[in-house]
Amino acid sequence: MSVKIVLVYQSLLGIYGDRGNSQVLAKRLEWRGVDAEVIAVEPGAPLPADGAIYLLGGGEDNAQTTAVRELRSDGALFSALDAGAVLFAVCAGYQICGHTFTIGENDEVREGLGLLDVETRRGAKRAVGEILTRWTKPDGTTSLITGFENHGGYTTLGPDAAPLAQVEVGIGNDGHGTEGAVQGHVIGTYPHGPVLARNPELADYLLALALGRRLDPLDRAAEQHAGLRRERIALVRR
Amino acid sequence: MPNDLRTRATAAPLPLATRLRLRAGTLVGDAAALASRIAGRGSGASIRGQLLTRVCPGAFAALVHGRRIASVTGTNGKTTTTHLLAAAVREGLGPDAARLVTNADGANLHYGIASALAKAPKADIAVLETDERVVASMLEHGRPEVLVMLNFSRDQLDRNHEIKFLGRAWRQALERAGADGPVVIANSDDPLITWATQTAREVIWVDTATTWTADATLCPACGDVLRRVDPGESATGCWDCPGCDLTEPTPDYVVQPRGVRLPDGRIVPLELNVPGAFNVANAAMALAAAVELGVGIEDALRGFSTVRSPAGRFSVAGFGATSARLVLSKNPAGWAESLPLLTTPTVVLAIDSVAADGKDVSWLWDVDFEQLRGKHVVCTGPRAYDLAVRLEYAEVGHEVVYDLDDALRAVKDAPQPVDLIATYTPFQKLLKKAGLR
Ligand SMILES: [Zn+2]
Repeated sequence: MSVKIVLVYQSLLGIYGDRGNSQVLAKRLEWRGVDAEVIAVEPGAPLPADGAIYLLGGGEDNAQTTAVRELRSDGALFSALDAGAVLFAVCAGYQICGHTFTIGENDEVREGLGLLDVETRRGAKRAVGEILTRWTKPDGTTSLITGFENHGGYTTLGPDAAPLAQVEVGIGNDGHGTEGAVQGHVIGTYPHGPVLARNPELADYLLALALGRRLDPLDRAAEQHAGLRRERIALVRR
Repeated sequence: MPNDLRTRATAAPLPLATRLRLRAGTLVGDAAALASRIAGRGSGASIRGQLLTRVCPGAFAALVHGRRIASVTGTNGKTTTTHLLAAAVREGLGPDAARLVTNADGANLHYGIASALAKAPKADIAVLETDERVVASMLEHGRPEVLVMLNFSRDQLDRNHEIKFLGRAWRQALERAGADGPVVIANSDDPLITWATQTAREVIWVDTATTWTADATLCPACGDVLRRVDPGESATGCWDCPGCDLTEPTPDYVVQPRGVRLPDGRIVPLELNVPGAFNVANAAMALAAAVELGVGIEDALRGFSTVRSPAGRFSVAGFGATSARLVLSKNPAGWAESLPLLTTPTVVLAIDSVAADGKDVSWLWDVDFEQLRGKHVVCTGPRAYDLAVRLEYAEVGHEVVYDLDDALRAVKDAPQPVDLIATYTPFQKLLKKAGLR
């Protein structure tokens, strides 16, 4: 049986090349000899309940509201998470995983999916630019996460959510040093778009979490990833 | 009702003080442009405009005043469409071609437009490429006869949140212009354009058979998810909003496989010397604009065929032992259009991410690079590694040659000319290296 990677509502939450994350995950399985398929689902069509990893990407205010409404009425994401699936949510997708977020010039409060114990409100200044964070994995080892952030909302974490990483350069959650949130198998982060293309270790971590087993290291694409990470990390630290 | 091309614009003379300032600014600007050319730093058009505007801050308003103007704007295709429309008008004017002025170099901000106009004080017809952010002041000061609105897609992802803001600015400017407003030539395939032109006095709709829809999923008026409905005679189907009354307008001109269908039902073939379906769309828009200005269809079509490499696009240039065909792509929509144009087995893709290119290259994952499988790609420019990762996952053979000159040298033994696509900044560098600007 092939591993299902579910790309949720690209027309709503896919403005920053977000489908790249699904391609990276699928290829990294395929190159290891594991069958994988990317299932792209648009609003109106039912989400599969047997996905291994669900992906939410970046989008604008109105799209966020629509996505929450559709995901709630569909319901499959919630049952999949109960069954042990992984949700990786980026940028606007991260915000809608929380209890509430705001939209529009008047900061109207909207209810989120309630999957992460976080709240998002408009921040002092828009966070736009390269971001570098240090991620401590469950086994205690650390790795750098490089990406590009572009968000007006600032996110604060409640007691049930743990930060994903600590900010070295950039704004992250709210400019106070933490970035992203983890709660069970739900992982939210601000570095947007194809963040896994810059961070293969994070991609492999998500895959291991979804499959429930360790994965062998992968040589394929290693050189390109190393080149890109070297170049981006050096640039942002300059 | 189209205008008559023979009608000369008549303008009330500008106040003496403005004229004197303009003259002084023009002299200073011309001198600086000459110095720039002598120093081998390009045409100097940009420095001329900047100095002119500094000496005479009202230069833009004064120079657009009292001319017959066709303004061309949109995210993609501005430069080529401006060249096509200018060529049509030139053909229509025949021996009076000196009446025409255009900013052919693609300098489309206030000072770039001022620079072009200052060089042609007697030309009473101006075909002007106009940056999206300059449209409002063009409408206010230039009172264009025709405004061509090509398309409106996210250009630079790090500035994406400005899109709605710009759309709103266009609506307001068209509303303020009221009965003095232009005839808008608008792309009916584009929901944002349709919404932005709702306040216009008159709109001529062109169905451009555009297939890029990734930027147009939500209704700009009410935020609902747009629907695609029955293709009918439109190649791309029609879009419709289930949440409000915004819907694809009935087109006056339609791009079809055999040419452009005119409002009277005739179908005329386009014989273009610029490649790609998107340039057919650009030409259809230019044709509708030319007709409004009073150019005959035959003249317009003859004019179009004279356009070969607008502002260096699609030109073949030599770089040492390498010869390359230069294609410019500025955003995902542009890349979607230009990748199918690549015909050579080895291609060079040059990616930068300074402000003019957009600092965020996430868009690389929105472009279908998989179609390059079987080719060998040389990735170059400051974001060559981002491209290399993308190509590895697309399973396209590639190598990274970070420096642009090295990359050009690396393909000297491949079949020539080598196709090369570049984002804005490397494209300008290449034109300069090739002596094309
Ligand atoms: Zn609507």
